[in-house]
Amino acid sequence: MTNGAILLLMAAFFIGFGYMGVPVAFALMAGVLVACALTPISMQSMIGQMFHGIDSEILLAVPFFLLVGELMSSADVTNRMIRLAQTMVGHLRGGLAQVVTLFSMFFAGISGSSTADVAVLTRTVAPEMTREGYDRGFTAALIACASTMANLIPPSIMAVVYGATGNVSIGGLFLAGIAPGIVVGIGLMIYSHFFGPVGLKKPRASLCEFAAAMRASILPLMIPVIIMGGILTGWFTPTEAGMVASVYILLVLVPLLARGHIPDLPRDFVYTGLLYSIPLALVAAASAFGWMLAYLRGPDIVSGWIELFAGHDGRLIMLLLVLLFIVIGDFMDAVPAIIIFMPIVIKLNELGSIQPLHMGVVIITTLVFGLITPPYGLSLLVASKFVGVPFSRAMFASLPIYVVFFVAIAFTVLFPDIVLYLPKLLLPESVGCFKSPTGSGYICPP
Amino acid sequence: MGDFLARPSLVIARHRHLKWRALDPLEHVLMVLCGISITGFTFSVFLDVVTRTAGFPILWLQLATTGFFAWGVFIGMAVATRRIDHLNLVEITKRLSGPPRTFLEVFNRAIILLVALAMLVFGIQNFMNDLGSFRAPSLIPLAAYTASVPVAGALIVLFCVEQLINGWINGFEGPEDTEDFVGIVK
Repeated sequence: MTNGAILLLMAAFFIGFGYMGVPVAFALMAGVLVACALTPISMQSMIGQMFHGIDSEILLAVPFFLLVGELMSSADVTNRMIRLAQTMVGHLRGGLAQVVTLFSMFFAGISGSSTADVAVLTRTVAPEMTREGYDRGFTAALIACASTMANLIPPSIMAVVYGATGNVSIGGLFLAGIAPGIVVGIGLMIYSHFFGPVGLKKPRASLCEFAAAMRASILPLMIPVIIMGGILTGWFTPTEAGMVASVYILLVLVPLLARGHIPDLPRDFVYTGLLYSIPLALVAAASAFGWMLAYLRGPDIVSGWIELFAGHDGRLIMLLLVLLFIVIGDFMDAVPAIIIFMPIVIKLNELGSIQPLHMGVVIITTLVFGLITPPYGLSLLVASKFVGVPFSRAMFASLPIYVVFFVAIAFTVLFPDIVLYLPKLLLPESVGCFKSPTGSGYICPP
Repeated sequence: MGDFLARPSLVIARHRHLKWRALDPLEHVLMVLCGISITGFTFSVFLDVVTRTAGFPILWLQLATTGFFAWGVFIGMAVATRRIDHLNLVEITKRLSGPPRTFLEVFNRAIILLVALAMLVFGIQNFMNDLGSFRAPSLIPLAAYTASVPVAGALIVLFCVEQLINGWINGFEGPEDTEDFVGIVK
């Protein structure tokens, strides 16, 4: 049997089992084991690969950023940030919709998890939006769309996984994600202003109210400073920054702002312990799947197809990859998608001489869109469930908002200078620059 | 200890008809181990940063960290199987009833069972091979880490058999079918 046929069989088993209801991690491994039976690769080595897939210090950042989100949402510290967002944009047309977006931008700087963002907003702002007459389908759609910023604005779990598997600077990916994150945020605010429900007109908050809200939020808002400050100054790795943020919440935020939550902390740890194992079990299985894909020369086959259409044109290759990942993101979770397709992405980076960091942020922005598209739009599924509205209604309400994401993806592809401005400025090594032998400044590739 | 086992508060109430009460303490203990794992590596990374900053780095802390992490992932993978918390592409089985539902539920668990058996059998082979490999600088056997894979495999086999037998006797349909839960239920 040819490599191409085995690849197709492996993919068919994974997709077939997955859509029959077998959990993704097991469907992936079933595909791998079928391929083992048809190749000289031993099953023993593939089971070993599951362990090696997660045996990485960098991936430890994932549970820490999940822990930060879990602690922040369960300790109810986030209410202060919602209040701050209300004083800033609550008076605008569609005030609560604007609050949802602005809060998500704040929260994205703290947690790397879209699901935590959805959980907070559906519990706090969504009931108020219903009372003010917002359509519940729109509420669920907006919360889901806004929550995607958690995977763009640092810290981002997708960036950690991409950086760990693609050997790309995680700090660089964090910085490069800020521009598309802001584009999504501003896009959602513009959409809510011109096309969303009007909501109740509220008076503009006074400067004193704003100052009070800012003072109340200052401790939670220190978290992004700790995380990015630690990484950019070189004090911490992303993993250590996640740990320091968690310890900061445990030792400073909870005792000062949510003392009553202290007895519940062990429970938070237990559930986060389970919460992180689920995506990382996917990483373990996807790592074996990706290894087998690379062994069967999948990257050569796919890059050969793409080369037929795009030649060596980097921008066209990127466009085709965006289309591929839009389809992939519709049907599977971002974490296994990144790991499985990473060998193909690396091969295409070489083919089109594409800056790996630029490709990384384009792919992450594209996969983020998959969080709100059917049938596997995880954020939209969670938001519609928590808001109490059928998934189809939330999906139809989100359709016009897709334009915002198309603009963000196009922006990320077409304006690499803007997207990579911050990494170039603050982490020049992340974009391939190296220190000048004269000792002054950096020499960067064109 | 008796009280701890008698009130397994971390055991999820959903899918009760697919579970034996006798295994509830095991689910409870595994959940506690998940908590211990994340607490353990939070603490070890913290100590690592502190000792390194103080100029007295303790090198084996990194090995302890990866150990807690790896065991946490595979223990979590096992307990998520009992709680039916794993990520699915679709929840197609919930929309079915009668013999088609039974067929699909049994088929899906048979796939999980096969993968778990592979994790158990080949994981044990890896474990035996890794007894002779050591991780520098503390010379902890690699097997201490890779043992997590067959242990998870054995637990998943156990939970799969539990669900297959109970599902066959009681039916796979339950009150959870009308719910649309995504993610972890506390």
